Order: sequence, then C-alpha cells, then structure tokens
Amino acid sequence: MPTLSSAINASASALAAERTRIEVAVSNMANAESTRGPDGQPYRRRDVVLAPDRTSSFDSALGKAGAVGVSVAAVVEDQAPFRRRYEPTHPDADPEGFVTLPNVEPQNEMVDLIGASRAYQANLTAISLIRDLVSRALELGR
Amino acid sequence: MNGISDTQLVSALRRQMTIAVAKQVASAGNLANVDTPEYKAVEVNFASALDERLTPPAATHSKHFSTASSGAISTQEIPGVTPRRDGNTVQLDQELLTMNRAGGDFSAAQTALAAKFRLVRYAINEGR
Amino acid sequence: MSSTLGAINAFGKDPIASKAKAATVPEGGVGESFGQSLMNLVENVEQSGADANQAVSNMLDKSGDVHDAMIALQRAEMTLQLTVQIRNKLVQAYQDVMRMPV
Repeated sequence: MPTLSSAINASASALAAERTRIEVAVSNMANAESTRGPDGQPYRRRDVVLAPDRTSSFDSALGKAGAVGVSVAAVVEDQAPFRRRYEPTHPDADPEGFVTLPNVEPQNEMVDLIGASRAYQANLTAISLIRDLVSRALELGR
Repeated sequence: MNGISDTQLVSALRRQMTIAVAKQVASAGNLANVDTPEYKAVEVNFASALDERLTPPAATHSKHFSTASSGAISTQEIPGVTPRRDGNTVQLDQELLTMNRAGGDFSAAQTALAAKFRLVRYAINEGR
Repeated sequence: MSSTLGAINAFGKDPIASKAKAATVPEGGVGESFGQSLMNLVENVEQSGADANQAVSNMLDKSGDVHDAMIALQRAEMTLQLTVQIRNKLVQAYQDVMRMPV
C-alpha cells in the first residue's frame, strides 16, 4: 500500500532525526566544560533544527497525501552568550580570574535527550504497528 | 429477505479497513514530527469516517448504498489543542493510542472479511 | 442431527434474535417429508448468514461487539458445513437405495 509505505518512510525519517538530536545533546553534555577548543574558543552549544519533509509525502500515484516525514534542516550553533565563572586557578582563567565556559546547561541537554529518546521509541512502535497492519492485510490474500 | 446484502457488507468492511489505514498514516506523520517546531497534528476527517455506517437511515433504493463507500478520506488539523512552546501540537500518547485502535479496527474487519471469503469459497467448492 | 443444530444455535447466545429452526429428520418417515427437512436446513443456512451479516454490521458501526460478530460468522460457517454434509449423506443414501436390486 503506497500510503502505508509513506508512513513507514515518515517514521524512519523521524528515527534518523531524533538520533541526530540525541547525538547533539550528548556532544553538548560531553563538552559542557570545554574551555578551549581547536580555535582557542570555548565550545559553543549546538542545536538541531527540524523541519517537516513534505516532498515525499504527496503520493502522486494516488493523488492524495501520505504521511509527512521530518528532516534535519540544519545543525546550528547556539548564539547565546558564554557563561563566566570565577576560578582564578583554572589554566584558562583571564587576568581577572574568570573562566569563559560553554553556553551549555546540562539539565536542558538532559531534557532534550529524554524527549528525543521518547520520540525515537514512539516512532519505532509506529513502524511495528504499521508492519502488523500490512501483514494482516496480506493475510486476506491467503 | 430484509437484511444486509453480502456486497454491502464487503463494501463496508473495505471502508473500515481503508479508514483504519488512513488513521495510521496520519498518526505516523504526526509522530514523526513530534519535535518539529510549528507542526500541527492532523487527524482523519470526522465526516469521512462517519461513512462507515452500513445502512444509511431510510435508504430504500439500491443506489443509495453505493454512496456510502465512495467518499474520499481527508485529513484536517486536530482542533482545540494548545501548542507547546515550539508551536507543536502533537500529543505522543494520543497518537500511539490512535494507532493501536486503528490497528484493532483493521484486524476485526480483516478477520470478518476473511471469514466471509472462506464461507463463499466453501460453498463454491462443496456445492458441486 | 437435530441436537447438533440445536448445539450450533446454543453456541452463540447473540443479541440478534435468531429465527433458525431446528431441523428435524423423521425417524420412520412419518411426519415432515425429506423435502421439508431440506428446506428447513437451507433456511437455517440463510438465516445464520443473515445473522452474521447483521452482527458484522453492528461491529462496524460500534453498536455491537467484535466477539459477537466473530461468533456469528463461525456459526454461519458451521451451519453451512453441517448442511452440506447432511445433503451429501442424503444424496449418498438415495444413490444406495437406487442401486438396490428390486
């Protein structure tokens, strides 16, 4: 069934997108204290921008819309200002004793991680439900 | 005999399955976009789902029955949902529930249809 | 045979009023004729089929339960199969009789 396969495509696209979100959240958390990157600057938090993927949703063979998928439109750097913390003994402390730290709040990253995991799980469930439907439909032909 | 003809029944069973598929497809699209900003959750249009009813009231002419299954199925945005901070209106548990229910509806209709086929096939084979 | 049909009828205590008649096959040829019995059997098949259609329709518009529809479908199938078996046996008996030397 064409529209059902579009539904599986949509769910599969979500798996890829949510996995990207998980990877970015984990990268943010891992670098929450990285004061000096390859460019000498602290790590800047990254954000995933999602957008609906309507190009593959219109099933021209049937003339009706299938399921709308999702895609990662971009991974951007969060332009929020860096944090500053007073720690004169830190090797990267400036002359006033302040360290410039990445603009990462670990608890926010955790929330994103959990949300992305739940969405990933839900889309996995969706795929198996659709697969069940298709196999039941095939039983009609027996 | 005043009753439901086999063709009517098969037609209604088909429609139930088609609607169940449409609901699953809509929910799959919603679930895929649960984290997409500004995405509005869609559902199968209520009016087209109502056409599931087999015997329209006071239908006396045989021509009435064919219209019950010919309506196109469309989707609409789910009304009355407050968007979250990112503008998204998808409710994860709601969508999973819809998918499970639609799966159940499909199973019931498919089993009934398979049983009817079996009956007819038996009559054909043994009625020789 | 009448008890078998009675069992099929009792199998589903469905909300639909089943008008199936328990077909009685006379023991000694007294009472209903074979033709009448066969007519009863055919009516049973038709009735169980109509009941099944009604039950499935009820399931579809949610006025009835799924299990009632499934049971009604099974009853229709069993009634049909039983009737076919009876017919086969009757035809066989008829042929046996016709083969007997006078």
